[in-house]
Amino acid sequence: MCANCGYPAAPGHWTETGAASPGDRLRARYRRAQVLRSVLPAYGLTAHDDGQMPGIQIGNHFGSQTIVRDLDEVWCEAERMLGRPIDPLDPRFLGE
Amino acid sequence: MTDGRMRLTLLGGFLGSGKTTWLRHQLHADAFTGAHVIVNEAAETPIDDALLARASAIEVLAGGCACCEARTELVERLRRLCDIRSRTASGEARLKHIVLETSGLADPGAILEAIRTDPMLVHHILVSETIVCVDGLHGLAQLVGEPLSRRQVEAADRLVVTKLDEADMASLGRLVATLQTLSPAAMIEGAIKGSPVPPPSGEGEIPEPLPELQGEASAIFPTRLQLDDRIDWTAFGVWLSALLHARGDDVMRVKGVVRTPAGRLLLQSVRKVVQSPEMLPAQEGREDDTIVVIGRGYRGEDLLKSLERFAGVKEQGDLSILRRAS
Repeated sequence: MCANCGYPAAPGHWTETGAASPGDRLRARYRRAQVLRSVLPAYGLTAHDDGQMPGIQIGNHFGSQTIVRDLDEVWCEAERMLGRPIDPLDPRFLGE
Repeated sequence: MTDGRMRLTLLGGFLGSGKTTWLRHQLHADAFTGAHVIVNEAAETPIDDALLARASAIEVLAGGCACCEARTELVERLRRLCDIRSRTASGEARLKHIVLETSGLADPGAILEAIRTDPMLVHHILVSETIVCVDGLHGLAQLVGEPLSRRQVEAADRLVVTKLDEADMASLGRLVATLQTLSPAAMIEGAIKGSPVPPPSGEGEIPEPLPELQGEASAIFPTRLQLDDRIDWTAFGVWLSALLHARGDDVMRVKGVVRTPAGRLLLQSVRKVVQSPEMLPAQEGREDDTIVVIGRGYRGEDLLKSLERFAGVKEQGDLSILRRAS
């Protein structure tokens, strides 16, 4: 329950189900940031997650920064910054 | 997962495919004991509820299909059920299960999305199974001609081929083979007047070629992704969330069991909606780490290639080209 709005917190993003212990959760968070950092720079975007502050920080090279809650919001934000969605099946991304 | 959420079974299928008959038999055989049954009918006049007198509680949602016009009303009703349940004292029996029989024109995916995206329902209801009835007699023709019928089959966890006694074996085998190509992850059962009968296996039968329909870009096909040690659950999650964001209309269904640090997870999505994965008991499954992706508009082999890029299995080349707008 959120102390400010009184609304129950949304159940976590589906990707967060895979880690049960606090250690696993933190590991999964770092790994998530690592994967994002291997993908986003190709699109001129940055991702940062220090493991402490809630959320993931997404930025672009023009200095725009946003904190998003989960992966769904990462891709929405990336689409907003780029003006098009990041398509994992884009032939250029696949290196063809 | 033993959270306190109510289970909801979605029963769908094309018009006249035998949904109510099947459900009536299940209720008669005490399959959904104590469940609250909601019947949705597209027509204004409810008929089905008269047939389903055995249910412990039943209500009818008439005058519109729950996936479009009557969606708000469905959400309203489900909310009310949640309310009543929350007010039940802990000592009394609480409602545990809802069965929602959709109208023959409903897209189960749309209903799943309505429940998943409602801020209240998502805390109270977990869709445990999508059962879709397929008409043994007309099913094949419906699959050939009706995009909706295909969408229903694609959304199913369990397919029930009905009217086995009325159709001939050859066309039934063909129907089963077609269903297997459309929805390879679904379990296929048979029924005559609701009572279970094993369906023909469909082995050796050639699936009916499904023509491209107007507005449908290309044929829908399944791809199996075999995950190995190099691809971890986190990278897979990042990849799938990106894929569904960009290609959610093409990637219609993803289903499989994945091993994670927390245990085995049953993962499934219908279009852009991913259900919160369910924990499975720890046992070695043959199908572990195999993901079935069903969709269209991409090349099957690109899926694994793209996933490997995300997981960092392959070295990335110069990707600066992507910065330029396409």
